[in-house]
Amino acid sequence: MQVLGIVGPSDSGKTTLVERLAERLSGDGRVATVKHLKTEPTVDTEGKDTARHRAAGAAVTFGITDDAGWFATGADRSLDETLDEVAADADYALVEGYSASPLPTVALGGRDHAGETVATAPEADAVDLDEVVAAVDALEPYESLGSLVAEVKASPDARYAGAIATFTGRVRTQEDADDEPTEHLEFEKYDGVAEERLATIRSELEARDGVHEVRMHHRTGVVEAGEDIVFVVVLAGHRREAFETVEDGIDRLKDEVPLFKKEVTVDDAFWSHERPE
Amino acid sequence: MHWRLFATLAETAGDTEVEVDVDAGATVGDAFDALLETYPALEDEVLDEDGDLYEHVRLLHEGRDPFSEEDGFETVLEDGDELALFPPVSGG
Repeated sequence: MQVLGIVGPSDSGKTTLVERLAERLSGDGRVATVKHLKTEPTVDTEGKDTARHRAAGAAVTFGITDDAGWFATGADRSLDETLDEVAADADYALVEGYSASPLPTVALGGRDHAGETVATAPEADAVDLDEVVAAVDALEPYESLGSLVAEVKASPDARYAGAIATFTGRVRTQEDADDEPTEHLEFEKYDGVAEERLATIRSELEARDGVHEVRMHHRTGVVEAGEDIVFVVVLAGHRREAFETVEDGIDRLKDEVPLFKKEVTVDDAFWSHERPE
Repeated sequence: MHWRLFATLAETAGDTEVEVDVDAGATVGDAFDALLETYPALEDEVLDEDGDLYEHVRLLHEGRDPFSEEDGFETVLEDGDELALFPPVSGG
């Protein structure tokens, strides 16, 4: 899934730009949109059955029709978990208004933002849509465990597969209760060479008997404590080769792919290779 | 010749990408010497007491290991080649 943030002051036409991009991109794939709201959602107004469910303490409420769409409301939801979830079946996600999130971003009206700049313009009408669409397609895709599992399930070989094994590496906060907590990790990658190594590992593992698909993805930049770092997903005929291959996949990734981890704790920052685990 | 440095080596040098001047027909060894001349502080991090490259330090030429796949320090460089130097990888 390709993710694009759109930020800007309230009169700069963020929503207009999201509309134009959504119309344009929905010809190429499924588009998800996310909007940062500053006030309580008004989709589900007081007195409706679903509002009564919510008021009674439901953490998540769905309103689903047979053929006229659906909506959901809920108590807690972060942008990250939302992107992880929609990545399973969307090709694009347009995210309006999260200027503090490190997403590739189109910034209108000079708005500051935490992510890489895809384009800047004074307002929506000044944005070159062709350029933005080309830049979005060239971005590194956003992957989650769900998106990789969905991808292997769509394999033409899925009919011969009785097993999916997955590995998720995440940021461990502490080794034990006395350990100084890790705040985040920062991963640096040798662009180009890392992808080549991953492609080699993938094709060698996929050449094994009974292994149909292998997907590996490693996030880079800052990954906060508790968040996911790396995924390995294997689609195989049977569980044995699925388990073996997922283990070999993560072991080889850690040994062979030029990625470098810096750990940042409350008081300290150090490169992982200088402190063997 | 273009060098890429990573992790501790980039911090020691203070740069992640470096151009070093070498003559036409130069080898990986020539470009390596030129790199250490530009950043003398790197020497302690990459060379052992005998002046050999530490086993844990990786050098790549165009994404390949010149010591196992090419002629090591004698590998002749082509114009525009990329070299990289990095400490042990630590993904995952």
